[in-house]
Amino acid sequence: MNNLPLVIENLTFQYRRRSEPAIEKINFSLQPGQVMLIAGSSGCGKTTLMRCINGLIPHSYQGEMSGDIRLFGESVVGMGLSTISQTVGTLLQDPERQILGSYVLNEVAFGLESLGISREEITPRVERALARLGIQHLRDRETFGTSGGEKQKIALAGVLAMEPRILLLDEPLASLDPASAQEALQAFRMLADEGIAVMIVEHRVEDVLSIHPDIFMYLDDGKMTYLGGTEGLMDVVDYRRIKLPARVVLERARQDPAPVFIPAIRPEVKTETLVQFEGVHFRYNEDGPEVLKNLNFNINAGDVIAILGHNGSGKTTMVKHTLGLLKPTEGRVLLEGLETRKMTVAQAAHTVGYVFQSPSQMLFAPTVREELSFGPKNLEFTEDIITQNVEWAIDTVNLKSEMEMPPLALSFGQQKRISIAAILAMRSRILMMDEPTAGQDYWNYQAFMDAILQMPGFDAVLFITHDVDLAVIYANRILLVYNGEIAADGKPQEVLKDEKLLRSCRVLPTSLLKLNMEYLPQTGRFYRAETLAHLQS
Amino acid sequence: MLVTWRYRLRNGLMEKFDPRARWIFSLAFLFAVTLFWDARFLAFFFIIAFAWYFSSRAKWKETRRGWYLIGFILFMMIVINTIITGGGAGGVVPPGGHLVWAQGGTIPLVGWQFHFGLTWERLWFAICQLLRIGAISAIFLIIPYTMDPRVYGVTFRGLGLPDRFAYSMELAFRYVPTLARDFGTTLDAQRARGYEIERVKGGIIKQIVRIAPLIVPVTMNSILTGEDVTNAMDLRCFGTRPRTWLQKLTFHWQDYALIAFSIILLGGGIITLYAFHLGNFWVPEFWLRLAGG
Repeated sequence: MNNLPLVIENLTFQYRRRSEPAIEKINFSLQPGQVMLIAGSSGCGKTTLMRCINGLIPHSYQGEMSGDIRLFGESVVGMGLSTISQTVGTLLQDPERQILGSYVLNEVAFGLESLGISREEITPRVERALARLGIQHLRDRETFGTSGGEKQKIALAGVLAMEPRILLLDEPLASLDPASAQEALQAFRMLADEGIAVMIVEHRVEDVLSIHPDIFMYLDDGKMTYLGGTEGLMDVVDYRRIKLPARVVLERARQDPAPVFIPAIRPEVKTETLVQFEGVHFRYNEDGPEVLKNLNFNINAGDVIAILGHNGSGKTTMVKHTLGLLKPTEGRVLLEGLETRKMTVAQAAHTVGYVFQSPSQMLFAPTVREELSFGPKNLEFTEDIITQNVEWAIDTVNLKSEMEMPPLALSFGQQKRISIAAILAMRSRILMMDEPTAGQDYWNYQAFMDAILQMPGFDAVLFITHDVDLAVIYANRILLVYNGEIAADGKPQEVLKDEKLLRSCRVLPTSLLKLNMEYLPQTGRFYRAETLAHLQS
Repeated sequence: MLVTWRYRLRNGLMEKFDPRARWIFSLAFLFAVTLFWDARFLAFFFIIAFAWYFSSRAKWKETRRGWYLIGFILFMMIVINTIITGGGAGGVVPPGGHLVWAQGGTIPLVGWQFHFGLTWERLWFAICQLLRIGAISAIFLIIPYTMDPRVYGVTFRGLGLPDRFAYSMELAFRYVPTLARDFGTTLDAQRARGYEIERVKGGIIKQIVRIAPLIVPVTMNSILTGEDVTNAMDLRCFGTRPRTWLQKLTFHWQDYALIAFSIILLGGGIITLYAFHLGNFWVPEFWLRLAGG
């Protein structure tokens, strides 16, 4: 017991400027080769717990800590960050935030260089770490030019090169396409099988369950409300808070009232064409590769489109063309009949509202209210309309209580919702969202997606996502993108039934999709598991 | 994530030199050229600088943005600071001289007097300034396009800086293209909200407030990136022990030759100026004849 990789006893931590502890009385231990999954809603204390273990608390984040953390029997109190880092490897949520080296070889070698290990020893250790994850071919590539999935593996290789015995993974799947996420999970399982104790903090619980974690911890408001096997979690965890396998939800939801979801946009109501892509090709520079290849499709009033595709397939590039942020190198894009080459982005913004992936790229105002008013003011709406739109937008994302707060002082999840509200307040005809649910907990993203799609006012909604279930539940049309081309375009039940096609595009079927396919002959369309539970009975 | 300058191997003459030797040459050149205001000497440096620049084989389209920026700075320095106000020429160009054009008068309402006089000497000084800044720019602008980002840190370490400073220099180098990328992303995000930078009008305060949607997110992102980089470095033991640098740099004969040339350039410049008193501001006869002097 004394020499277990990780033992935590009565751990409590409160950040210096906060009045409440971020985590309270946490107790658990981890054995070699075990995989532990930690879940909970945004702000529940998951990241704080990780920082306590990897030494960033108290090294980089100040506050009051009590309780004990022991690594292989030794208390971390007084242990230097470099000592901890040689035992505990940490993979941060966004690999882009972790990668330091400009080339893969240098990135993976960084920790070993810092430890002053000789060049002769560094090279084979780097080679071994790359080989372990099957990415030797990336060795001499620039880190900047690699895909999201590749970045994840490069960052992990950088951690593994230091040969840690405990691995902390902070939402490692957040920016990965389904196939890359599955590959990453297999790599984590493999590392655990080799004897490393692995701790995964993740919102995508269902995905992690596929590698059979040994222990599951559920954190709620900084407190540990469940610790045990994964079979027990199905009974204790609220299926509305954590995404559980669809069959479990189906069973559990029977006891609750049926959810009410009436989408405001209906495909059969309107047929007006809002956006036309005509033979669109695009490359970022003359010598660069073609990112979009001969795209031909329309966005019509009544469409709720989910764009699915692998990391680096050209999804974001495609959507930026709609607003004129990028112009085709060949072909044309028409917005309400006008070519985007002949209009400014500000003019296009009257029709298209586009929510960027990262909220920190756009938030600037001293209060949420001013942030939300910014777009409507630019579009020269009247004061009355601005007030009305801002109130509606903030209600939709459920953040009315933060109206007078500085947006940059809010948590990442709240900032993301503010960035969505800022675009909602512009009341554009078409709403486009790039990864709207990334970094959001299940309950919150379901709530705002429900609110957005039930709210009248939009003629079409389009969202880019790696979450297949989001497409299953909300979309009435799927665009499947592969390597800059449209691999499939149609109703969800037509596109998503072709498992072979999905896999070839690095999209994997989920339990909800499989369940819906079973019920499709009866239902004729896709539903969320809670709805299926009541349709069936 | 920090990005790097768009580097690619061009097999130019410049790339045959060790990056440390290149830095020594660049710095020696900088100190040497700043000793002189004589256009004949400056022309010599100008030719060396552009011969060096063209030995890189970099194309105009790769470096043009940098040149646009330098062009803007030169315009501000030469046209405004030297020709219009004469501030830049202070201490170098002797007072008086041959007038090209003079104008004086009183500003209505406030009643302030002003005298403006442009001399042929100041115009010649502007040419000298053009040669000097042009030469310095050519030497330094080309560095990020022709230096492998993998050797930034080890180069500064090899020049004698401690590990921490050497790596900080690498990060600082990469910060510039990262900032440009972040600025572009934020500009796009705000344009998507109907913001038009072209429409920013009004007084200074109003203009500053109007560009806040660009400045605040870019600044905040820089702070966050700084925090991320620090955490990522801490988590991989940076600064706890003397660092091994994976890339190894070795001097060859051509590097010694370049360093010797750098020493001669700087040493020769110092001797020329201080022992022989050559190289101070000088105006050619033909130029003064143009002035009718």
